[in-house]
Amino acid sequence: MQEPTLQDTAVPTAVAEPRREPAPAPGPGAMIVFENVRKVYEPNVVALDGISFVIDKGEFVFIVGASGSGKSTLIKLLLKEIEPTDGRIIVGGRDLGRLKRSKVPLLRRNVGCVFQDFKLLPNRTAAENVAYALKVQGESRTSVRRKVPEVLNLVGLADKMSSLPDELSGGEQQRVSIARAVVNNPPLLICDEPTGNLDPDTSVGIMQLLYRINRAGTTILMVTHDREMVDKMRRRVLALEDGKLARDERRGGYTSE
Amino acid sequence: MSRTRMIVSEAFRSLGANLSTTIAATMTVLIGMFLLGMLVALGSWVVSWSDQVKRELMVKVYFEPDRTEQQINAVRTRLESDERVCSVEFISAAEALERMRQRYPELTENLSANPLPDSFEVQPCDADDTAAIAAGVERPPPPGVDKVNYGERTADRILHVARVIQIVFLVAVVVLLAASTLLIANTIRLSIFSRRREIEVMKLVGATNWFVRGPFMLEGLLCGLIGAVAAVLLLLLGKELALPAILGRIEAGAGVQALSFMWNAVILIVVSLVIGAVGSGLTLRRFLQV
Repeated sequence: MQEPTLQDTAVPTAVAEPRREPAPAPGPGAMIVFENVRKVYEPNVVALDGISFVIDKGEFVFIVGASGSGKSTLIKLLLKEIEPTDGRIIVGGRDLGRLKRSKVPLLRRNVGCVFQDFKLLPNRTAAENVAYALKVQGESRTSVRRKVPEVLNLVGLADKMSSLPDELSGGEQQRVSIARAVVNNPPLLICDEPTGNLDPDTSVGIMQLLYRINRAGTTILMVTHDREMVDKMRRRVLALEDGKLARDERRGGYTSE
Repeated sequence: MSRTRMIVSEAFRSLGANLSTTIAATMTVLIGMFLLGMLVALGSWVVSWSDQVKRELMVKVYFEPDRTEQQINAVRTRLESDERVCSVEFISAAEALERMRQRYPELTENLSANPLPDSFEVQPCDADDTAAIAAGVERPPPPGVDKVNYGERTADRILHVARVIQIVFLVAVVVLLAASTLLIANTIRLSIFSRRREIEVMKLVGATNWFVRGPFMLEGLLCGLIGAVAAVLLLLLGKELALPAILGRIEAGAGVQALSFMWNAVILIVVSLVIGAVGSGLTLRRFLQV
């Protein structure tokens, strides 16, 4: 496996090549299903207005849109942080509307999350941050000891295991947070502007990493403002505008051409 | 099993990592529990004292000089059948004079005859019933009875004061308990607030509510325990060193006793444990809605 480096500024050409096409119709292989989802924040702010789409297993999907177009709401809905006003959401075969509150932690263990601000625990080392996600699920100590170095090695931080987040660069911190998100092999990885705080070179490294994770079979849903990246990758793009789904293109760019 | 170990190790970890808030919370518990302990000791002593004073209240039934044995027995039967009455003691004229002589020797020195009547001393079970018992004997006055006396003025005043003392004590305990609960809850809230990011992350990686709550509650429990034990030690110190100096100057009957120190300590520790654990558990609820 090729290790991504910071000098490697070119977006991997493999990314642009059409791989196996994702199944076009929603079927049993659907990872995320949105059916007429509406979300109204009281008193009358319509964040999402009747959104419907299907994302299949193994897809790499960008969600683009201006601030306030409903992207964050969409992610919060996926994690069941908030409830839709109307409509149905299915994640990994689970109908979120029927999912009991006590089962929400189980949902989140199957959905990795990467954020713009990393959300690492500041007083724990990189390894401890990653281990935390495993411990929370009651993984045995031996299994934690085996998996953590493995995944940190995967993201290219084998030599920074015992560094605190403060001692790491932004790109490295994001790698730790990606390692934490995928350490338990979730079928779905949600990234909320993972490169939003990073310089372009570092962003490319992160994208390569995400791409590799996607190739290994993980569905990736990525909210981004990075026009260049979306245009280069030519992946499926869902564009939100004022709470409506303005565009759903199989291999789209950041803006419609 | 490994979950429990995990929760315990997380709790100790964050106790150490947030030493200043840990100390602040412990000190808050210490102060609150110290005050509560003092109040409980003082309050129970005062209540016990007022009980003692109340116990001295009694109804006296004086007989006319020409009373007959039957009349006395009739009154005794009547008094003893009253369930509010705890004990009835017959004081003959001679006994009364003897007591008088002991208490006021100079007054009784020149007496040629015994001017005192026979009487009953009636001890009510509840001091508050004193007036009612007196009224019951008086109306209608049985034959042979001269008059019934229970020291109306004094009795009313004593009862009034005792009631005020009890109410003040109760209110003070409630207020202090509420105040220290709020104070401790607030400290806990601050420490949790400063770690809300941590909680957010825990929830996002799929920690169950109990998994997040566990370490916090354990921390609260430990802070409560340490604070309470320290407060108990301080109180013990105060009891051994300061109290003898003060108590020497206060007149009180032997029956007047504060709540035993051990019970007081048990109350403090239990209260602070409950406040610590429940306080942090409840405060967390707000932050768990991620």
